[in-house]
Amino acid sequence: MKQAGSNTIFSLKNRLFRLKRDSNRWSIITLVVVFLIALPVISIAVKLFDGPGETWSHIVAHLLFQYVYNSFYLLVVCSVLVLLFGVTTSWLVSRFEFPFRKQLEWLLILPLAIPSYIVAYAYAGIFDYGGTLELIQRFMGLQFTRIDIMNRFGLAFVLSISLFPYVYVSSRAFFLNQANNLLEASRVLGVKEWNSFFKLILPLARPAIIAGLILVLMEVLNDYGAATYFGVSTFTTGIFRSWFSLEEPETAIYLSALLVLLVFALILFEKWQRRHIQFTNSKSGNKRIYRKKISKKMQLLILVMVSFPVLFGFLLPLAQLLYWGFLTYSAVFEYQFLLLSLQTFGIAFITATFTVIFATLLIFSAKWNKIGVIKNLSRLGVLGYAIPGAVVAIGVMIPTIFIDKWLIGTMHSIFSYTSGFLIHGTLIALVYAYVIRFLAVAYNPIESTTLKVSNTIPDASKTLGVGNFKTFFKIEFPLIKTGILSAFILVFIDVLKELPLTLILKPFHINTLAVKAFEYASDERVMEAAIPSLFIIFTATIPVIFLNRLLAKN
Amino acid sequence: MVRIESLSKSFDKGKTFALKDVSFSLKEGDVYAIVGESGSGKTTLIRLIAGLETPDSGFIELNGIQVSSIKKMVSPEKRNIGLVFQEYALFPHLSLLDNILYGISKLKNKKDRAQEVLELVGLAEMKDRYPHQLSGGQQQRVALARALAPKPSLLILDEPFSNLDSMLRSQLRNEVFDIIKKTGVTAIFVTHDTQDALSVADEILILQGGKLVQKDQAANLYTKPTSVYVASLFGNTIQLSKELQSVFECPLKTDCCHAIRNENIAINDECEYVTHATVLKKTFLGNDTQLLIKLDNGEHLTVITKHNNITERITIGFNSKDVLEFRE
Amino acid sequence: MLKYFLISCSALFLFACKNDSKKEASKELNVYTHRHYESDQQLFNFFEEKTGIKVNVINASADELIQKMTLEGANSPADVLITVDAGRLYRAKENDLLQPITSILLNEIIPSHLKDKENYWFGVTKRARIIVYAKERVTPEELSTYEDLATEKWNKRLIVRSSGNIYNQSLMASILVNHDEGFAKKWSAGIVKNMARSPKGNDRDQVKAIFAGEGDITIINTYYLGNMLDSDDSEEVKAATGVGVFFPNQESTGAHINVSGAGVAKYAPNKENAIRFIEFLVSKDAQKIFALSNHEYSVNKNVPMSETLKSWGEFKEDTLNLSLLGENNKNAVILLDETGWK
Repeated sequence: MKQAGSNTIFSLKNRLFRLKRDSNRWSIITLVVVFLIALPVISIAVKLFDGPGETWSHIVAHLLFQYVYNSFYLLVVCSVLVLLFGVTTSWLVSRFEFPFRKQLEWLLILPLAIPSYIVAYAYAGIFDYGGTLELIQRFMGLQFTRIDIMNRFGLAFVLSISLFPYVYVSSRAFFLNQANNLLEASRVLGVKEWNSFFKLILPLARPAIIAGLILVLMEVLNDYGAATYFGVSTFTTGIFRSWFSLEEPETAIYLSALLVLLVFALILFEKWQRRHIQFTNSKSGNKRIYRKKISKKMQLLILVMVSFPVLFGFLLPLAQLLYWGFLTYSAVFEYQFLLLSLQTFGIAFITATFTVIFATLLIFSAKWNKIGVIKNLSRLGVLGYAIPGAVVAIGVMIPTIFIDKWLIGTMHSIFSYTSGFLIHGTLIALVYAYVIRFLAVAYNPIESTTLKVSNTIPDASKTLGVGNFKTFFKIEFPLIKTGILSAFILVFIDVLKELPLTLILKPFHINTLAVKAFEYASDERVMEAAIPSLFIIFTATIPVIFLNRLLAKN
Repeated sequence: MVRIESLSKSFDKGKTFALKDVSFSLKEGDVYAIVGESGSGKTTLIRLIAGLETPDSGFIELNGIQVSSIKKMVSPEKRNIGLVFQEYALFPHLSLLDNILYGISKLKNKKDRAQEVLELVGLAEMKDRYPHQLSGGQQQRVALARALAPKPSLLILDEPFSNLDSMLRSQLRNEVFDIIKKTGVTAIFVTHDTQDALSVADEILILQGGKLVQKDQAANLYTKPTSVYVASLFGNTIQLSKELQSVFECPLKTDCCHAIRNENIAINDECEYVTHATVLKKTFLGNDTQLLIKLDNGEHLTVITKHNNITERITIGFNSKDVLEFRE
Repeated sequence: MLKYFLISCSALFLFACKNDSKKEASKELNVYTHRHYESDQQLFNFFEEKTGIKVNVINASADELIQKMTLEGANSPADVLITVDAGRLYRAKENDLLQPITSILLNEIIPSHLKDKENYWFGVTKRARIIVYAKERVTPEELSTYEDLATEKWNKRLIVRSSGNIYNQSLMASILVNHDEGFAKKWSAGIVKNMARSPKGNDRDQVKAIFAGEGDITIINTYYLGNMLDSDDSEEVKAATGVGVFFPNQESTGAHINVSGAGVAKYAPNKENAIRFIEFLVSKDAQKIFALSNHEYSVNKNVPMSETLKSWGEFKEDTLNLSLLGENNKNAVILLDETGWK
């Protein structure tokens, strides 16, 4: 009887009726955004149907195992290290008062400002033969003990120490916003600080932490510069090898597809992990943050713990870069760098703005659309981050040039005017590609703060006669502002350091600091790359400090 | 004013139904209670009425206009339904006054209206505070004022008192429903507590497993429950099994189920059907005394009595008019 | 629907975003280059000064540039493609991205093995891939050929960078052409066996490691060593002066060389400027910049070498036509993979 009933309710005809009823403009907007974001990926994925190139079996026989093994090694080791650095520091700075806490709070974001391949070079510059460590040891009359960091673990360490801020930023946002209430409650119940951290806070903070972690892992999978320099073959180095050395884009695309699957599996795994848990806490609670007063000894201990990642992720490479910058200053420095910094800043600003808008639009239009399939589809928008920048660039070129050629043809036939490319080779294509690449970076912090706003809040607004759009601006935006600001900072910094994509798609008259640094580094003039790298760090520092102030105020 | 016809909703594409084939209609100006255990579909039902969920079949009419069906959905912001959420859902970044003004921004005399509802709930002097500065009961009243401000044609309260302790609860319940009665708005409130429902509702809807099992006035639900489940919601009952019927020598219809309410069991009193029993244990409950007794056929029963001088041997009995009959 | 959306968007941006890459005025030149050297900017400025033609540059790896030109097709703004190895130029020609040009000047100056037979591309500077050794542990007499490096006597003494590097691929391709597949495979396997450590770092790092004693010999490009000697870091200078330079295969094929080269794009909007530019690159003035600031060997025999290069002496170079390196690049990489050269 029940079976029969549900059969008619879920008959095709009724399904179609409901589909028609549930499709609204948000469904269409979601689809359009996802389509725009996925277009490059699709352009490339279509090529999967051509089958892999003839060297595929060669790769499977000789290289694939190594790629898989090394990539998994990096995923595991980096996860452990990044959680260790990111979660402990964010917890300590949001729970305890100790000397230099305020400064450390933003210094902890700055390791992100140095491109990881530059960190890799800097580390090699410190630890390698004739490096800074040897000089210091020699100066102190010590025997040189070489620490070989140019290996798999070294790579994992370098990547972790320069990428952990992703986890730091997202988990700190949670700790600052939420933990106080929870802690108050649990402390009243007599649970010790550490106990409550593991039993209560950590499980609740998991979505925020995982969101940061996934970004790190995607970045790790995507790294090319540091991995090749350290001689570790990963999926991404494999993609480049098969594309460029073996001259088989088809095979490279197959490898990319495997990589995307891997990332997709990570995302699904995370979703599955939190399938039963509702992470909403409607009471946004006491804004005042209580930092625990602790003994001088403990303060010192915490100071050391928090300083460690700052020291190794930022100060040490920075010192090495400053040293190199000092050596090469006269040969490299030009006033043009200031102009270049300004240009880079502008591009990063525009891109970060667009990326944040697109990410927010995607999250909310998916939410406001009522069709389940489309909701799930919106997750696809974040895949761009998993794909190597060079591949995204090619993926962007395929559709934009296609449209451009069509436009040129039309214009020629109507106005008999021959123009150059209108999208490709302009800022539009570059920003478009950046948005695709960095959407995940913006998506995750915004989504995790959105998850913290109970669904009943916007529901309440709607029953009070206010539509989705207005509800967003009046209610949800103020509540997720921290997430949006974090997203903005992260994308901004990412654009500052982005390379392969910029190299391929940048317009003629535009240059970025990262390109300048790369020009030196790829010519093995690593020392000379220090000056533009320092400018990148400098340019990144300004918004980090500024926005950190804003975050703290909220 | 509200008419619902064979409404169904499934969240897993028909594998299970949160709400199955529910039909009823509500009259203007009355207060209705929806009672059911958690998972019975009561929250889904009100979310459907408010337009926050879409039905998989059936339709909802408000004031004679179809607002939800499988072909049509009027969005929640156009339904003029006030909803007070279980966790209040106050906007944390807005002051109390701004929370209330939020829903009436288009009104000409919005300031006056806000003042009016604030006075109604007795929080006028706190209007510049923020939600986190209020107690639970105060938040509850703000949520009510906010929902009432736009003069909704229907007010829905989802588990309005579940977050409060029992002292505050009955006090606030009376306050809230005084306010509601004053405004004369049609109201639905959801609860899992029968006491709440009995004390304020004109009519009660009982949901079980996504189905509407009974809709009636409180007195009728008490005297004429259509199922054991409904009967058990309003106090303890004793099922009159075949064995009990023979002990009490009361032959009842064989194609029905029967039960008797605990409070209708008479001890040491004149009754149509009586039998003897031995008291095994007495528990003093203040006004009442709970007895664990053993009937002569060896069956154990728990009964409650107001008598306080109970001896070891008692007679217990009941009258035929108190026997509840269900077709099951 | 999307198409229209995009069209209206691009129409909007048409006036907002100037794309001056393809103006009809031929006072411009668009260069796609893989060379990132400092000296190159000097050259571009020099060219601008001399001719009044503005040089617009896109810097990226040759493979990415080739991909970009392929997609851009007939509308590509590229005039000149510059790469750091002949193999990529060969590939660009194969992909129909270049056009042959007739320039008496170029044919006169550039030796025939350093350019395309059909004049699709021209080598503009050259560099040799040489053996560098630790002076205390190796005497030049012990060294002879690339082939010798795979023999037992260098067991665990050789240091070399990854096979992902194009210069190693080209070297492998030259071995493959000068011998045969079987030999090349055995050679590569021998090299892998002789490695003192797993391949990592860049050419400069190999020199430092040799100097520090992690291995005894390595294979690097000449100009990296030349640049190390000019370094601002005294440690690099120390390492570079502490090692010996050896040009292999002087009795046989000659030292393996490669070129940085340029070709005119098939759809070059400014073809005349492009030819002028390449001619400029091999001119005495330009070649001097290559030779002096980056320690590259000139293709113009009238241009003297830098002092550093002079100190290493003249050498016999492999006159294998460089197109062959491009043709065999893929096979070389496959053999490198098969023998486990990471």
